[in-house]
Amino acid sequence: MAIQSERRGSTLHINMGPQHPSTHGVLRLELELDGETVVSCKPVIGYLHTGIEKTFEVKTYLHGVTLTDRMDYLNPLGNNLAYALSIEKLFECEIPERAVVGRVLLAELTRINSHLVWVGTTGLDLGASSVFLYAFREREALLDLFEWMSGARMMTSFIRPGGLAEDFEPEWLAAVDHFLDVLPSRVDDYEALLTNNPLFKERTVGIGVLKAEDAIEMGVSGPILRASGVAHDLRKTNPYCGYERYPFDAIVGQNGDCYDRYRVRIAELRESIKLCKQALSFLPPGPVKTADRKIVPPPREELGRSMEALIHHFKIYTEGIRPPAGEAYVPVESPRGELGFYVVSDGSGRPVRVHERAPSFANLQAISLVAQGGLVADLIAIISSIDPIMGEVDR
Amino acid sequence: MTGGLDGLKAAFPTAEAGMSADGIPYLRLATADLSEAAGRLRNELGYGRFIDLTAVDDPDRVDRFELLYLLYSMAERAWLRLRVRTDETVASVTPLFRAANWCEREVYDLFGVRFEGHPELTRIMLPDDWEGHPLRRDAPVGGEPVDFTVTRDVYGTGPSAPPGPERSG
Repeated sequence: MAIQSERRGSTLHINMGPQHPSTHGVLRLELELDGETVVSCKPVIGYLHTGIEKTFEVKTYLHGVTLTDRMDYLNPLGNNLAYALSIEKLFECEIPERAVVGRVLLAELTRINSHLVWVGTTGLDLGASSVFLYAFREREALLDLFEWMSGARMMTSFIRPGGLAEDFEPEWLAAVDHFLDVLPSRVDDYEALLTNNPLFKERTVGIGVLKAEDAIEMGVSGPILRASGVAHDLRKTNPYCGYERYPFDAIVGQNGDCYDRYRVRIAELRESIKLCKQALSFLPPGPVKTADRKIVPPPREELGRSMEALIHHFKIYTEGIRPPAGEAYVPVESPRGELGFYVVSDGSGRPVRVHERAPSFANLQAISLVAQGGLVADLIAIISSIDPIMGEVDR
Repeated sequence: MTGGLDGLKAAFPTAEAGMSADGIPYLRLATADLSEAAGRLRNELGYGRFIDLTAVDDPDRVDRFELLYLLYSMAERAWLRLRVRTDETVASVTPLFRAANWCEREVYDLFGVRFEGHPELTRIMLPDDWEGHPLRRDAPVGGEPVDFTVTRDVYGTGPSAPPGPERSG
Protein backbone atom coordinates (compact mmCIF):
# COMPACT_ATOMS: atom_id res chain seq x y z
CA MET A 1 0.00 0.00 0.00
CA ALA A 2 2.73 2.41 0.97
CA ILE A 3 4.44 4.02 -1.98
CA GLN A 4 6.16 6.60 0.14
CA SER A 5 5.82 7.47 3.76
CA GLU A 6 7.36 9.83 6.24
CA ARG A 7 6.99 10.45 9.93
CA ARG A 8 5.86 13.90 11.00
CA GLY A 9 5.41 14.32 14.72
CA SER A 10 3.38 11.40 15.93
CA THR A 11 1.27 10.92 12.81
CA LEU A 12 2.27 9.02 9.73
CA HIS A 13 1.64 10.39 6.24
CA ILE A 14 1.04 7.68 3.72
CA ASN A 15 -0.11 7.38 0.13
CA MET A 16 -2.77 4.88 -0.80
CA GLY A 17 -2.96 4.42 -4.52
CA PRO A 18 -3.13 5.57 -7.26
CA GLN A 19 -2.21 2.05 -8.34
CA HIS A 20 -3.94 -0.12 -5.81
CA PRO A 21 -6.54 -2.76 -6.69
CA SER A 22 -8.98 -1.74 -3.98
CA THR A 23 -9.12 1.92 -5.02
CA HIS A 24 -11.29 0.97 -8.02
CA GLY A 25 -9.30 2.72 -10.67
CA VAL A 26 -6.62 5.32 -10.30
CA LEU A 27 -7.61 7.06 -7.10
CA ARG A 28 -4.97 8.31 -4.73
CA LEU A 29 -5.68 8.95 -1.08
CA GLU A 30 -3.29 10.99 1.02
CA LEU A 31 -3.72 9.59 4.50
CA GLU A 32 -2.59 10.94 7.82
CA LEU A 33 -2.54 8.08 10.30
CA ASP A 34 -2.26 7.92 14.04
CA GLY A 35 -1.43 4.27 14.47
CA GLU A 36 -4.26 2.50 12.64
CA THR A 37 -6.65 5.44 12.88
CA VAL A 38 -7.25 7.76 9.95
CA VAL A 39 -6.74 11.34 11.13
CA SER A 40 -7.38 12.82 7.71
CA CYS A 41 -7.97 11.45 4.26
CA LYS A 42 -7.52 13.62 1.20
CA PRO A 43 -8.49 12.19 -2.17
CA VAL A 44 -6.31 13.22 -5.10
CA ILE A 45 -7.97 12.75 -8.47
CA GLY A 46 -7.25 13.55 -12.09
CA TYR A 47 -5.15 10.53 -13.02
CA LEU A 48 -7.74 9.51 -15.59
CA HIS A 49 -8.47 12.98 -16.94
CA THR A 50 -8.78 12.73 -20.70
CA GLY A 51 -10.35 16.07 -21.54
CA ILE A 52 -13.66 14.53 -22.62
CA GLU A 53 -15.53 17.80 -22.13
CA LYS A 54 -13.10 19.56 -24.46
CA THR A 55 -13.39 16.77 -27.01
CA PHE A 56 -17.18 17.25 -27.09
CA GLU A 57 -16.64 20.73 -28.51
CA VAL A 58 -15.03 19.42 -31.70
CA LYS A 59 -17.44 16.51 -32.23
CA THR A 60 -20.93 16.54 -33.66
CA TYR A 61 -23.76 15.76 -31.29
CA LEU A 62 -23.97 12.19 -32.57
CA HIS A 63 -20.23 11.60 -32.16
CA GLY A 64 -20.68 12.83 -28.60
CA VAL A 65 -22.81 9.78 -27.77
CA THR A 66 -19.74 7.57 -28.00
CA LEU A 67 -17.87 9.83 -25.56
CA THR A 68 -20.62 9.46 -22.96
CA ASP A 69 -20.13 5.67 -22.95
CA ARG A 70 -16.60 6.17 -21.79
CA MET A 71 -17.34 8.37 -18.80
CA ASP A 72 -19.11 5.97 -16.47
CA TYR A 73 -18.07 2.74 -18.15
CA LEU A 74 -20.33 0.64 -15.94
CA ASN A 75 -23.39 2.64 -16.91
CA PRO A 76 -22.93 3.40 -20.63
CA LEU A 77 -26.62 3.22 -21.52
CA GLY A 78 -27.56 5.48 -18.62
CA ASN A 79 -25.03 8.03 -19.81
CA ASN A 80 -26.37 7.78 -23.37
CA LEU A 81 -29.84 8.35 -21.96
CA ALA A 82 -28.95 11.47 -19.96
CA TYR A 83 -27.12 12.96 -22.96
CA ALA A 84 -29.95 12.15 -25.35
CA LEU A 85 -32.56 13.62 -23.00
CA SER A 86 -30.69 16.93 -22.77
CA ILE A 87 -30.41 17.22 -26.55
CA GLU A 88 -34.03 16.21 -27.04
CA LYS A 89 -35.00 18.90 -24.55
CA LEU A 90 -33.30 21.47 -26.80
CA PHE A 91 -35.20 20.13 -29.83
CA GLU A 92 -38.43 19.70 -27.83
CA CYS A 93 -39.17 16.63 -29.88
CA GLU A 94 -41.52 13.75 -29.19
CA ILE A 95 -40.03 10.29 -28.73
CA PRO A 96 -42.12 7.27 -29.76
CA GLU A 97 -43.53 5.21 -26.92
CA ARG A 98 -41.61 2.05 -27.82
CA ALA A 99 -38.33 3.95 -27.53
CA VAL A 100 -39.32 5.51 -24.19
CA VAL A 101 -40.20 2.14 -22.65
CA GLY A 102 -37.16 0.54 -24.28
CA ARG A 103 -34.97 3.19 -22.66
CA VAL A 104 -36.32 2.32 -19.23
CA LEU A 105 -35.60 -1.33 -19.93
CA LEU A 106 -32.04 -0.55 -21.00
CA ALA A 107 -31.38 1.89 -18.17
CA GLU A 108 -32.50 -0.68 -15.61
CA LEU A 109 -30.51 -3.48 -17.25
CA THR A 110 -27.46 -1.25 -17.02
CA ARG A 111 -28.22 -0.55 -13.38
CA ILE A 112 -28.29 -4.32 -12.81
CA ASN A 113 -24.96 -4.60 -14.63
CA SER A 114 -23.41 -1.86 -12.52
CA HIS A 115 -24.71 -3.20 -9.21
CA LEU A 116 -23.53 -6.72 -10.12
CA VAL A 117 -20.01 -5.41 -10.61
CA TRP A 118 -20.36 -3.53 -7.36
CA VAL A 119 -21.48 -6.57 -5.35
CA GLY A 120 -18.71 -8.66 -6.86
CA THR A 121 -15.87 -6.21 -6.34
CA THR A 122 -17.04 -5.28 -2.84
CA GLY A 123 -16.98 -8.94 -1.88
CA LEU A 124 -13.53 -9.24 -3.39
CA ASP A 125 -12.26 -6.18 -1.51
CA LEU A 126 -13.50 -7.57 1.78
CA GLY A 127 -12.13 -11.05 1.21
CA ALA A 128 -15.25 -12.81 -0.04
CA SER A 129 -13.86 -13.72 -3.43
CA SER A 130 -16.49 -16.32 -4.36
CA VAL A 131 -19.27 -13.73 -4.69
CA PHE A 132 -17.13 -11.97 -7.29
CA LEU A 133 -17.14 -15.07 -9.47
CA TYR A 134 -20.91 -15.53 -9.17
CA ALA A 135 -21.74 -11.87 -9.79
CA PHE A 136 -19.46 -11.71 -12.82
CA ARG A 137 -21.03 -14.87 -14.23
CA GLU A 138 -24.38 -13.06 -14.41
CA ARG A 139 -22.72 -9.90 -15.62
CA GLU A 140 -21.14 -11.81 -18.49
CA ALA A 141 -24.58 -13.06 -19.50
CA LEU A 142 -25.82 -9.48 -19.43
CA LEU A 143 -22.88 -8.19 -21.45
CA ASP A 144 -23.58 -10.93 -24.00
CA LEU A 145 -27.12 -9.56 -24.25
CA PHE A 146 -25.74 -6.04 -24.81
CA GLU A 147 -23.42 -7.39 -27.47
CA TRP A 148 -26.28 -9.16 -29.21
CA MET A 149 -28.32 -5.93 -29.08
CA SER A 150 -25.74 -3.37 -30.14
CA GLY A 151 -22.61 -5.18 -31.28
CA ALA A 152 -20.60 -3.96 -28.31
CA ARG A 153 -20.38 -5.38 -24.82
CA MET A 154 -19.74 -2.17 -22.93
CA MET A 155 -19.54 0.86 -25.21
CA THR A 156 -23.01 0.35 -26.62
CA SER A 157 -24.00 3.88 -27.79
CA PHE A 158 -27.46 2.43 -28.28
CA ILE A 159 -29.62 5.24 -26.88
CA ARG A 160 -29.24 8.19 -29.24
CA PRO A 161 -30.87 11.60 -29.59
CA GLY A 162 -34.25 10.90 -31.16
CA GLY A 163 -34.77 7.38 -29.88
CA LEU A 164 -32.83 4.13 -30.06
CA ALA A 165 -30.21 3.03 -32.57
CA GLU A 166 -32.49 0.27 -33.86
CA ASP A 167 -35.42 -1.89 -32.87
CA PHE A 168 -35.08 -4.87 -30.52
CA GLU A 169 -35.21 -8.35 -32.00
CA PRO A 170 -38.05 -10.50 -30.59
CA GLU A 171 -35.53 -13.24 -29.78
CA TRP A 172 -33.42 -10.74 -27.87
CA LEU A 173 -36.43 -9.66 -25.81
CA ALA A 174 -37.16 -13.32 -25.03
CA ALA A 175 -33.55 -13.82 -23.95
CA VAL A 176 -33.75 -10.78 -21.67
CA ASP A 177 -36.97 -12.14 -20.20
CA HIS A 178 -35.28 -15.46 -19.50
CA PHE A 179 -32.28 -13.70 -17.93
CA LEU A 180 -34.64 -11.77 -15.64
CA ASP A 181 -36.39 -15.01 -14.65
CA VAL A 182 -33.11 -16.55 -13.56
CA LEU A 183 -31.53 -13.51 -11.92
CA PRO A 184 -33.62 -13.28 -8.68
CA SER A 185 -32.46 -16.72 -7.54
CA ARG A 186 -28.87 -15.68 -8.27
CA VAL A 187 -29.34 -12.54 -6.16
CA ASP A 188 -30.51 -14.88 -3.40
CA ASP A 189 -27.19 -16.68 -3.78
CA TYR A 190 -25.19 -13.46 -3.32
CA GLU A 191 -27.26 -12.63 -0.29
CA ALA A 192 -26.68 -16.10 1.12
CA LEU A 193 -22.97 -15.42 0.86
CA LEU A 194 -22.96 -11.92 2.31
CA THR A 195 -26.07 -10.61 4.03
CA ASN A 196 -25.82 -12.65 7.23
CA ASN A 197 -22.16 -13.51 6.91
CA PRO A 198 -20.63 -12.53 10.28
CA LEU A 199 -17.25 -11.69 8.72
CA PHE A 200 -18.87 -9.43 6.12
CA LYS A 201 -21.03 -7.76 8.76
CA GLU A 202 -18.01 -7.26 10.97
CA ARG A 203 -16.37 -5.31 8.17
CA THR A 204 -19.41 -3.21 7.21
CA VAL A 205 -21.94 -2.69 10.02
CA GLY A 206 -21.42 0.68 11.67
CA ILE A 207 -18.44 1.40 9.39
CA GLY A 208 -18.18 4.61 7.39
CA VAL A 209 -21.33 6.28 8.67
CA LEU A 210 -22.54 9.25 6.64
CA LYS A 211 -25.25 11.25 8.39
CA ALA A 212 -28.30 12.33 6.39
CA GLU A 213 -27.71 16.08 6.76
CA ASP A 214 -24.06 15.71 5.74
CA ALA A 215 -25.08 13.61 2.74
CA ILE A 216 -27.54 16.25 1.57
CA GLU A 217 -25.10 19.09 2.08
CA MET A 218 -22.25 17.33 0.31
CA GLY A 219 -24.40 16.86 -2.80
CA VAL A 220 -24.16 13.10 -2.40
CA SER A 221 -26.76 11.21 -4.41
CA GLY A 222 -27.88 7.74 -5.37
CA PRO A 223 -27.72 4.65 -3.14
CA ILE A 224 -25.31 6.38 -0.73
CA LEU A 225 -27.80 9.18 -0.04
CA ARG A 226 -30.66 6.73 0.31
CA ALA A 227 -28.64 4.48 2.64
CA SER A 228 -28.36 7.50 4.93
CA GLY A 229 -32.14 7.54 5.21
CA VAL A 230 -33.00 10.23 2.66
CA ALA A 231 -35.79 9.08 0.36
CA HIS A 232 -34.50 10.84 -2.72
CA ASP A 233 -34.59 9.03 -6.03
CA LEU A 234 -34.94 11.12 -9.19
CA ARG A 235 -37.07 8.36 -10.70
CA LYS A 236 -39.61 9.19 -7.97
CA THR A 237 -39.03 12.86 -7.16
CA ASN A 238 -38.40 14.24 -10.66
CA PRO A 239 -39.55 11.43 -12.97
CA TYR A 240 -38.32 11.18 -16.55
CA CYS A 241 -39.04 8.60 -19.28
CA GLY A 242 -42.42 7.92 -17.68
CA TYR A 243 -41.01 6.35 -14.51
CA GLU A 244 -44.10 7.59 -12.66
CA ARG A 245 -46.11 4.84 -14.40
CA TYR A 246 -43.99 2.00 -13.02
CA PRO A 247 -44.90 0.72 -9.58
CA PHE A 248 -41.60 0.22 -7.77
CA ASP A 249 -40.09 1.14 -4.43
CA ALA A 250 -37.33 3.65 -3.85
CA ILE A 251 -35.12 1.78 -1.41
CA VAL A 252 -34.13 3.71 1.70
CA GLY A 253 -31.70 2.64 4.41
CA GLN A 254 -31.37 3.91 7.95
CA ASN A 255 -27.87 3.97 9.35
CA GLY A 256 -25.81 5.32 6.46
CA ASP A 257 -23.07 2.76 7.04
CA CYS A 258 -21.37 0.45 4.55
CA TYR A 259 -23.78 -2.36 5.38
CA ASP A 260 -26.83 -0.23 4.58
CA ARG A 261 -25.27 0.82 1.30
CA TYR A 262 -24.91 -2.87 0.53
CA ARG A 263 -28.52 -3.58 1.53
CA VAL A 264 -29.81 -0.66 -0.55
CA ARG A 265 -27.95 -1.79 -3.66
CA ILE A 266 -29.06 -5.40 -3.32
CA ALA A 267 -32.67 -4.27 -2.87
CA GLU A 268 -32.28 -1.96 -5.87
CA LEU A 269 -31.06 -4.90 -7.88
CA ARG A 270 -34.37 -6.63 -7.15
CA GLU A 271 -36.36 -3.48 -7.90
CA SER A 272 -34.56 -3.11 -11.22
CA ILE A 273 -35.47 -6.68 -12.15
CA LYS A 274 -39.09 -5.78 -11.38
CA LEU A 275 -38.82 -2.60 -13.47
CA CYS A 276 -37.32 -4.49 -16.41
CA LYS A 277 -40.15 -7.03 -16.26
CA GLN A 278 -42.70 -4.22 -16.25
CA ALA A 279 -40.97 -2.47 -19.14
CA LEU A 280 -41.01 -5.70 -21.12
CA SER A 281 -44.75 -6.04 -20.53
CA PHE A 282 -45.40 -2.37 -21.39
CA LEU A 283 -43.31 -2.39 -24.57
CA PRO A 284 -45.74 -1.33 -27.33
CA PRO A 285 -45.22 -1.96 -31.03
CA GLY A 286 -44.19 0.94 -33.22
CA PRO A 287 -41.16 2.91 -34.33
CA VAL A 288 -38.13 3.44 -32.06
CA LYS A 289 -36.95 6.67 -33.65
CA THR A 290 -38.61 10.04 -33.86
CA ALA A 291 -40.11 11.00 -37.21
CA ASP A 292 -38.37 14.38 -37.02
CA ARG A 293 -35.93 14.28 -39.94
CA LYS A 294 -33.84 17.06 -38.39
CA ILE A 295 -32.75 14.66 -35.64
CA VAL A 296 -32.81 11.17 -37.09
CA PRO A 297 -31.87 10.54 -40.72
CA PRO A 298 -34.56 8.96 -42.92
CA PRO A 299 -34.52 5.21 -43.48
CA ARG A 300 -32.33 3.98 -46.29
CA GLU A 301 -35.18 2.86 -48.57
CA GLU A 302 -36.62 6.39 -48.64
CA LEU A 303 -33.45 7.84 -50.15
CA GLY A 304 -34.13 6.39 -53.58
CA ARG A 305 -37.66 7.75 -53.70
CA SER A 306 -37.63 11.14 -52.00
CA MET A 307 -35.43 14.12 -52.81
CA GLU A 308 -36.28 15.63 -49.44
CA ALA A 309 -35.13 12.49 -47.63
CA LEU A 310 -31.87 12.62 -49.54
CA ILE A 311 -31.33 16.25 -48.49
CA HIS A 312 -32.00 15.42 -44.84
CA HIS A 313 -29.65 12.46 -45.05
CA PHE A 314 -26.95 14.64 -46.58
CA LYS A 315 -27.37 17.47 -44.08
CA ILE A 316 -27.24 15.20 -41.04
CA TYR A 317 -24.18 13.31 -42.22
CA THR A 318 -22.25 16.40 -43.31
CA GLU A 319 -23.19 18.94 -40.64
CA GLY A 320 -24.67 16.82 -37.91
CA ILE A 321 -27.89 17.54 -36.09
CA ARG A 322 -28.34 21.18 -35.09
CA PRO A 323 -30.32 21.78 -31.89
CA PRO A 324 -31.80 25.26 -31.48
CA ALA A 325 -29.66 27.66 -29.45
CA GLY A 326 -30.12 27.24 -25.72
CA GLU A 327 -29.08 25.21 -22.74
CA ALA A 328 -30.46 22.06 -21.17
CA TYR A 329 -29.75 19.88 -18.17
CA VAL A 330 -31.95 16.82 -17.77
CA PRO A 331 -30.72 14.65 -14.90
CA VAL A 332 -31.39 10.95 -14.54
CA GLU A 333 -30.88 8.55 -11.64
CA SER A 334 -27.78 6.60 -12.58
CA PRO A 335 -26.61 3.62 -10.48
CA ARG A 336 -24.44 6.14 -8.66
CA GLY A 337 -26.86 9.04 -8.35
CA GLU A 338 -27.81 12.25 -10.10
CA LEU A 339 -26.26 12.22 -13.54
CA GLY A 340 -26.93 14.95 -16.07
CA PHE A 341 -25.38 16.59 -19.06
CA TYR A 342 -25.43 20.36 -19.23
CA VAL A 343 -25.46 21.02 -22.96
CA VAL A 344 -25.13 24.51 -24.47
CA SER A 345 -25.96 24.90 -28.15
CA ASP A 346 -25.49 27.92 -30.39
CA GLY A 347 -27.57 26.41 -33.18
CA SER A 348 -24.61 24.93 -35.04
CA GLY A 349 -23.69 21.29 -35.51
CA ARG A 350 -21.25 21.19 -32.64
CA PRO A 351 -21.96 21.96 -28.98
CA VAL A 352 -20.52 25.08 -27.36
CA ARG A 353 -20.17 23.25 -24.10
CA VAL A 354 -21.04 19.84 -22.71
CA HIS A 355 -20.53 19.36 -19.01
CA GLU A 356 -21.30 16.20 -17.13
CA ARG A 357 -22.61 16.45 -13.61
CA ALA A 358 -20.93 13.26 -12.48
CA PRO A 359 -22.44 11.60 -9.39
CA SER A 360 -19.13 9.89 -8.49
CA PHE A 361 -17.40 13.28 -8.40
CA ALA A 362 -19.70 14.58 -5.67
CA ASN A 363 -19.88 11.25 -3.85
CA LEU A 364 -16.12 10.86 -3.74
CA GLN A 365 -15.72 14.32 -2.26
CA ALA A 366 -17.56 13.09 0.83
CA ILE A 367 -14.99 10.36 1.46
CA SER A 368 -12.78 12.57 3.67
CA LEU A 369 -15.79 13.11 5.90
CA VAL A 370 -16.67 9.42 6.04
CA ALA A 371 -13.17 8.06 6.51
CA GLN A 372 -12.13 10.43 9.28
CA GLY A 373 -11.67 8.66 12.61
CA GLY A 374 -12.01 5.18 11.16
CA LEU A 375 -9.41 2.48 10.72
CA VAL A 376 -7.25 2.07 7.63
CA ALA A 377 -8.69 -1.38 7.01
CA ASP A 378 -12.19 0.10 7.03
CA LEU A 379 -11.16 2.55 4.35
CA ILE A 380 -11.23 -0.33 1.88
CA ALA A 381 -14.85 -1.02 2.76
CA ILE A 382 -15.64 2.70 2.55
CA ILE A 383 -14.11 3.26 -0.89
CA SER A 384 -15.90 0.20 -2.11
CA SER A 385 -19.26 1.24 -0.66
CA ILE A 386 -18.96 4.69 -2.27
CA ASP A 387 -18.49 2.97 -5.62
CA PRO A 388 -16.58 5.70 -7.45
CA ILE A 389 -16.02 5.27 -11.17
CA MET A 390 -12.87 7.20 -11.94
CA GLY A 391 -13.79 7.50 -15.61
CA GLU A 392 -16.59 9.88 -14.71
CA VAL A 393 -14.83 11.52 -11.75
CA ASP A 394 -11.91 12.63 -13.90
CA ARG A 395 -13.62 12.75 -17.32
CA MET B 1 -41.23 27.73 0.01
CA THR B 2 -40.25 30.19 -2.66
CA GLY B 3 -43.20 29.62 -4.94
CA GLY B 4 -41.25 29.04 -8.13
CA LEU B 5 -40.17 31.79 -10.46
CA ASP B 6 -42.49 34.48 -9.06
CA GLY B 7 -41.28 33.80 -5.55
CA LEU B 8 -37.68 34.13 -6.70
CA LYS B 9 -38.46 37.42 -8.42
CA ALA B 10 -40.02 38.72 -5.22
CA ALA B 11 -37.09 37.54 -3.09
CA PHE B 12 -34.45 38.99 -5.42
CA PRO B 13 -35.97 42.11 -6.98
CA THR B 14 -32.66 43.42 -8.31
CA ALA B 15 -31.65 40.19 -10.06
CA GLU B 16 -32.90 39.11 -13.45
CA ALA B 17 -34.97 35.95 -13.15
CA GLY B 18 -36.02 33.71 -15.99
CA MET B 19 -36.65 30.19 -17.16
CA SER B 20 -34.29 28.11 -19.30
CA ALA B 21 -35.46 25.79 -22.05
CA ASP B 22 -35.07 22.84 -19.70
CA GLY B 23 -37.61 24.25 -17.25
CA ILE B 24 -35.05 25.17 -14.59
CA PRO B 25 -35.48 28.74 -13.29
CA TYR B 26 -32.42 30.94 -13.16
CA LEU B 27 -31.26 34.08 -11.41
CA ARG B 28 -28.71 36.31 -13.12
CA LEU B 29 -26.61 37.93 -10.43
CA ALA B 30 -23.92 40.58 -10.34
CA THR B 31 -20.56 39.18 -9.22
CA ALA B 32 -20.69 41.24 -6.02
CA ASP B 33 -24.12 39.85 -5.05
CA LEU B 34 -23.24 36.17 -5.39
CA SER B 35 -22.25 35.35 -1.81
CA GLU B 36 -25.15 37.20 -0.25
CA ALA B 37 -27.71 35.67 -2.62
CA ALA B 38 -26.27 32.16 -2.24
CA GLY B 39 -26.38 32.53 1.53
CA ARG B 40 -30.02 33.60 1.49
CA LEU B 41 -30.96 30.80 -0.90
CA ARG B 42 -29.26 28.28 1.35
CA ASN B 43 -30.41 29.51 4.73
CA GLU B 44 -33.82 31.04 4.08
CA LEU B 45 -35.20 29.58 0.87
CA GLY B 46 -34.27 25.91 1.25
CA TYR B 47 -31.75 25.56 -1.59
CA GLY B 48 -29.24 23.84 0.67
CA ARG B 49 -28.04 21.15 -1.70
CA PHE B 50 -25.23 22.18 -4.01
CA ILE B 51 -25.42 20.08 -7.16
CA ASP B 52 -22.97 21.44 -9.65
CA LEU B 53 -20.88 24.32 -10.90
CA THR B 54 -19.58 24.79 -14.38
CA ALA B 55 -18.60 27.60 -16.71
CA VAL B 56 -19.08 28.59 -20.32
CA ASP B 57 -16.39 30.64 -22.01
CA ASP B 58 -16.95 33.32 -24.64
CA PRO B 59 -13.58 34.99 -25.32
CA ASP B 60 -15.18 37.77 -27.38
CA ARG B 61 -17.13 39.20 -24.46
CA VAL B 62 -15.87 41.57 -21.79
CA ASP B 63 -16.68 39.28 -18.87
CA ARG B 64 -15.82 36.16 -20.76
CA PHE B 65 -16.85 33.45 -18.29
CA GLU B 66 -20.40 32.68 -17.33
CA LEU B 67 -20.50 30.62 -14.16
CA LEU B 68 -23.51 28.37 -13.69
CA TYR B 69 -24.28 27.20 -10.18
CA LEU B 70 -26.91 24.52 -9.80
CA LEU B 71 -28.73 24.22 -6.48
CA TYR B 72 -31.49 21.85 -5.45
CA SER B 73 -34.27 22.29 -2.94
CA MET B 74 -35.18 19.04 -1.21
CA ALA B 75 -38.51 20.51 -0.04
CA GLU B 76 -39.61 21.75 -3.46
CA ARG B 77 -37.87 19.01 -5.42
CA ALA B 78 -36.64 21.65 -7.82
CA TRP B 79 -33.38 22.90 -9.23
CA LEU B 80 -32.27 26.51 -9.43
CA ARG B 81 -29.51 27.93 -11.58
CA LEU B 82 -27.43 30.97 -10.63
CA ARG B 83 -25.67 32.77 -13.47
CA VAL B 84 -22.74 35.05 -12.84
CA ARG B 85 -20.49 36.67 -15.43
CA THR B 86 -16.88 37.28 -14.52
CA ASP B 87 -13.53 37.97 -16.03
CA GLU B 88 -11.16 35.94 -13.77
CA THR B 89 -12.20 36.46 -10.14
CA VAL B 90 -15.33 35.73 -8.16
CA ALA B 91 -16.10 35.08 -4.49
CA SER B 92 -15.96 31.44 -3.42
CA VAL B 93 -19.14 29.81 -2.16
CA THR B 94 -17.23 26.95 -0.51
CA PRO B 95 -17.60 28.57 2.94
CA LEU B 96 -21.37 28.29 2.40
CA PHE B 97 -21.58 25.00 0.52
CA ARG B 98 -18.93 22.40 1.35
CA ALA B 99 -19.82 20.52 -1.82
CA ALA B 100 -18.64 23.45 -3.95
CA ASN B 101 -15.00 22.81 -3.02
CA TRP B 102 -14.06 20.42 -5.82
CA CYS B 103 -16.36 22.07 -8.35
CA GLU B 104 -14.61 25.43 -7.88
CA ARG B 105 -11.22 23.74 -8.11
CA GLU B 106 -12.31 22.13 -11.37
CA VAL B 107 -13.44 25.44 -12.87
CA TYR B 108 -10.21 27.08 -11.67
CA ASP B 109 -8.16 24.30 -13.20
CA LEU B 110 -9.87 24.08 -16.57
CA PHE B 111 -10.99 27.71 -17.07
CA GLY B 112 -8.66 29.75 -14.89
CA VAL B 113 -11.38 31.50 -12.90
CA ARG B 114 -10.09 32.40 -9.43
CA PHE B 115 -12.38 31.90 -6.44
CA GLU B 116 -11.49 34.26 -3.62
CA GLY B 117 -11.77 32.75 -0.18
CA HIS B 118 -11.48 29.15 -1.36
CA PRO B 119 -9.54 27.10 1.23
CA GLU B 120 -7.35 25.27 -1.26
CA LEU B 121 -7.48 26.59 -4.80
CA THR B 122 -5.17 24.18 -6.62
CA ARG B 123 -5.43 22.24 -9.83
CA ILE B 124 -7.58 19.14 -9.51
CA MET B 125 -7.64 17.41 -12.90
CA LEU B 126 -4.33 18.47 -14.43
CA PRO B 127 -0.79 18.23 -13.01
CA ASP B 128 0.27 21.15 -10.82
CA ASP B 129 2.89 22.29 -13.35
CA TRP B 130 0.45 22.42 -16.26
CA GLU B 131 0.37 25.70 -18.18
CA GLY B 132 -2.88 27.19 -19.41
CA HIS B 133 -6.52 26.29 -18.97
CA PRO B 134 -7.70 23.82 -21.61
CA LEU B 135 -11.47 24.37 -21.48
CA ARG B 136 -11.11 27.98 -22.59
CA ARG B 137 -12.46 28.33 -26.10
CA ASP B 138 -9.16 29.76 -27.37
CA ALA B 139 -7.13 26.79 -26.08
CA PRO B 140 -6.38 24.54 -29.06
CA VAL B 141 -7.39 20.90 -29.18
CA GLY B 142 -4.58 18.39 -29.55
CA GLY B 143 -1.76 20.87 -29.03
CA GLU B 144 -0.22 19.25 -25.99
CA PRO B 145 2.65 16.77 -26.18
CA VAL B 146 1.70 13.20 -25.30
CA ASP B 147 4.13 11.15 -23.23
CA PHE B 148 5.33 7.80 -24.55
CA THR B 149 4.13 8.57 -28.07
CA VAL B 150 6.06 6.73 -30.75
CA THR B 151 7.35 9.45 -33.03
CA ARG B 152 9.53 7.39 -35.30
CA ASP B 153 7.85 5.13 -37.81
CA VAL B 154 8.26 1.68 -36.27
CA TYR B 155 6.28 -0.35 -38.78
CA GLY B 156 7.24 1.50 -41.92
CA THR B 157 3.65 2.17 -42.84
CA GLY B 158 3.21 5.78 -41.79
CA PRO B 159 3.42 8.82 -44.00
CA SER B 160 6.88 9.62 -42.65
CA ALA B 161 8.32 6.29 -43.81
CA PRO B 162 11.02 6.70 -46.45
CA PRO B 163 9.79 5.24 -49.73
CA GLY B 164 11.49 1.86 -50.02
CA PRO B 165 12.05 0.12 -53.35
CA GLU B 166 9.00 -2.13 -52.94
CA ARG B 167 6.78 0.81 -51.92
CA SER B 168 7.86 3.39 -54.49
CA GLY B 169 6.70 1.35 -57.43
